[in-house]
Amino acid sequence: MPQVRFENIVKQFGRLTVLENLNLTVEDGEFLVLLGPSGCGKTTLLNLLAGLIEVTAGNIVIGDRDVTDLDPKDRGLAMVFQSYALYPTKSVRGNLKFGLAAQRLDRAEIERRVDWAAKLLQISHLYDRKPAQLSGGQRQRVAIGRALVKNVGVLLFDEPLSNLDAKLRTEMRLEIKKLHNELKQTIVYVTHDQIEAMTMATRIAVMDGGVIQQIGTPDEIYEVPANLFVARFIGAPAMNIFDTVLKVGGNSVQALHAPTSVAIDISDYPFATRPEDGMPANLGLRPEHFVIGDANGARPAAIFDLPLRDTEKTGSDATAFLDAGGQLVAVRADPGKVAGMEVGKPMRVSFPREKLNVFDGRNGRRM
Amino acid sequence: MTAGALAPRVAAAVYPRRRRRIKASSIATLVFLTMCCLFVAVPLYVIIVTSFKEMSQIVEGDIFSLPRTWTIEPWYKAWNTLCTGQYCDGIKTGFFNSIKILLPSIFFSIAISAVTGYALALWNVRWAGTFLFILFMCAFVPFQIIMIPLILLVSATGLYGSFWAVALVHAVLAMPLLTLIFRNFYKDIPQELMNAALMDSGSFWRVFFEIILPMSGNIMVVVLILVITSVWNDYLVGLTFAGFSSQPMTLILANALITSRGEVIYNVDMAAALLTAIPPLVVYFGLGRFFVQGITAGAIKG
Amino acid sequence: MAVRWSRVAPQLALSPAVAITVVAFFGAILWTIYMSFTRSRRLPDYGIDWSEWSRQYDRLFNDSAWTTALSNLVILAAGSALAIVFGFVLAALVNREKRGEGVFRTIFLYPLAVSLIVTGLVWRWMFNPGLGIENFFHQLGWTDFKFNWIAQADTAMYGIILASIWQSTGFFMALMLSGLKSINTEIWSAARLDGVSIWRLYAEIIIPMMKFTFLTCAILLSLGVVKAYDIVVAMTNGGPGQSTWTPAYYAINAYSIRNNIGFASAAAVIMLLITLVIFLPLVLLTAWQLRRRKRAAVA
Repeated sequence: MPQVRFENIVKQFGRLTVLENLNLTVEDGEFLVLLGPSGCGKTTLLNLLAGLIEVTAGNIVIGDRDVTDLDPKDRGLAMVFQSYALYPTKSVRGNLKFGLAAQRLDRAEIERRVDWAAKLLQISHLYDRKPAQLSGGQRQRVAIGRALVKNVGVLLFDEPLSNLDAKLRTEMRLEIKKLHNELKQTIVYVTHDQIEAMTMATRIAVMDGGVIQQIGTPDEIYEVPANLFVARFIGAPAMNIFDTVLKVGGNSVQALHAPTSVAIDISDYPFATRPEDGMPANLGLRPEHFVIGDANGARPAAIFDLPLRDTEKTGSDATAFLDAGGQLVAVRADPGKVAGMEVGKPMRVSFPREKLNVFDGRNGRRM
Repeated sequence: MTAGALAPRVAAAVYPRRRRRIKASSIATLVFLTMCCLFVAVPLYVIIVTSFKEMSQIVEGDIFSLPRTWTIEPWYKAWNTLCTGQYCDGIKTGFFNSIKILLPSIFFSIAISAVTGYALALWNVRWAGTFLFILFMCAFVPFQIIMIPLILLVSATGLYGSFWAVALVHAVLAMPLLTLIFRNFYKDIPQELMNAALMDSGSFWRVFFEIILPMSGNIMVVVLILVITSVWNDYLVGLTFAGFSSQPMTLILANALITSRGEVIYNVDMAAALLTAIPPLVVYFGLGRFFVQGITAGAIKG
Repeated sequence: MAVRWSRVAPQLALSPAVAITVVAFFGAILWTIYMSFTRSRRLPDYGIDWSEWSRQYDRLFNDSAWTTALSNLVILAAGSALAIVFGFVLAALVNREKRGEGVFRTIFLYPLAVSLIVTGLVWRWMFNPGLGIENFFHQLGWTDFKFNWIAQADTAMYGIILASIWQSTGFFMALMLSGLKSINTEIWSAARLDGVSIWRLYAEIIIPMMKFTFLTCAILLSLGVVKAYDIVVAMTNGGPGQSTWTPAYYAINAYSIRNNIGFASAAAVIMLLITLVIFLPLVLLTAWQLRRRKRAAVA
């Protein structure tokens, strides 16, 4: 399966520069997710790869071919669209066959491929139906089938699950992942939904404002976010960010959080850039890493006594919201324990050293 | 704090233009479309150009040439001395007659269609659906099948031959289509708005004048353009119902150019034709946007 | 009081429209149909001679001018249908090209704002052999060029068809354009990726998706053709001879020149029948398409 490379990509729409000096390599067989909020450029990047829009500068290489000047149909790609884009006048079988017309295969081969894809996606029984007679999930499968019959090495997905209800989405996530495991194609998948990204990707490229903020495996992105944007974007409930000022003295580095008057000990933190005394720093503390109650034996980075403001239960999970000097801090709690919590009463929570994230307050980058 | 990203750029670096393949097909398309535009524009060009030429140049026979000497005399003659039959009063009477026909037409057409559309759309009338369907059918009835009875009816009122007659007939003929247009427009008004209006003002007419009518700006323009164009450009209704003193412009034009015999003065004829065509063209080019809306609104019925 | 009034008021407000419909449409149509069975000439004569009830119709169909008019109707319809084809092609091109769509649409639509009388006059002028387009090409050196269609009986209708295509292509283009725009944009992208040839895409996907638009255009075209009167008067006034008569022209002529109410009524009734024959199946077809579309949208 081919590797996909974006080299120094620049894309301008009139005077607006959407992508500049973007470099990205998708390894062969990889499931790369382009994740980001609306307008971050992920769909533009996908469309550039597909050849639906032209680059302003830069090259796109698939395998060992430079496809930058090639038409979409010559690039060896297939795409699944957000609205499925099934041909309404053709049956399911017709839709699956239509895309192969350009490839000039003999009839037997076409039939073979169509049957294979239909079986794989369990839509063989829908052969003669028109798209209008299919459910959302079925249409999805036909759209995927249409991409699969082309038997190409690179598959593109443009937010394919956004039109499905939550339950179907969960099902389809598993299906797509299963397909990838079986067929091992190189997949580039665009979404704004972090759950899709975290569950399906082998690597995630988080984008914002046309720039790739971080590329890494889902674990890397989650555990070691490269900057404040990635830290806040991934994780639900979102990571709590404390605005602190660093106090550096000898071997000790403390992050002073003014609203709660707590000094968070970050002396053991693996700093990549040197902490300066008096500099602002953003500390990221994930809700699920807080320990409620006394920290038995462990040496936490900080201990907070904060009044409880609110609780939320979602059946399987619960979140307690504590008041940290005006800022609401989310803390993951056991649903069973939440019942006993009283609003207004202070709760003791501590945060372990190993789970800290420290970001430079001046530019948001991880330190 | 923003992440370690650059803020979205506004000032753009200029990149060397890639060999942008402005596709050959794109150029071919534009060329073809431009040629079609020329085909469409040619008749207008011809009328304009001919109307400013001297007769001496016209008889040379080069239809597309620009006037050697531009003269507005044909225009003056067309306006003041164009001959239809024995009378040579020019087309100016036609112009004023058309205006005299147009204004009541607009009023009557809109008055009856708007109210009817409003009643059918927003009030609970049991037979509304059936009536709408009947109106729909009526919109397609050929004029000839109701022409003679209409003539007799209009004669009976004594208005026959006056511009009132022409205006009324236009209003009657336009009613089915315009009612459908208004009804479709008013149908989009949310029921809650009607309910609120009913609680406030209450009566059929007050709601219409105080709430619905002020909201009708958009569709009024569309309908207005439709009515102006069809009434001004009409020939048959004018032919049938106008008397000598109320002949609209198209009628005078047709009589002068088609049924008169004798020496044909082409530049005057063309000037007359242009004078007849100018008012709706001005409306078209001025309010073109609404015109397109109007045409497609008139076409997509029900 | 309010409740009852609110029942009455709308019905009162509707009464003029209802009255007009009943009298000026229903009543008029019935009257005309009745008249077509009478021997009315200048003035209505309400007696029907039942032994000869189809007298007017017999006269009608024995008149060669009427059969010419009917065949002209078919010719005009077939010829003017080209305007739908051209309109579609133009719309497809404008839609693909995207640049200058507003300008093109404005230019193509302006003929609609021009009276058919003026249109007919201008084209008559252009068909003039000595001073019009024929002469233009002669002066360029192409002396064999013939563009004198409206002077000969067998080609005169083509002149009218040309003028009518000129007038209506822009309108059909506008309708087609809005139909094209209602097509999901991702279908175009999918087709580009599938590498489907342009012709197959239009033939197998796009045009079938626009059935509703085509039907609407067909309905409007046929209604326009049945009504064709002004353009005939302006271009040829029925001539040469009677070669460009249309049913509408015939009916008016029967009334205003031959002064025969019964006869004109018979012609008008046939016009109505033609309208119904064209109109009803098309409308039913369109309504059926619409219902299918609605069902598809819900699914």
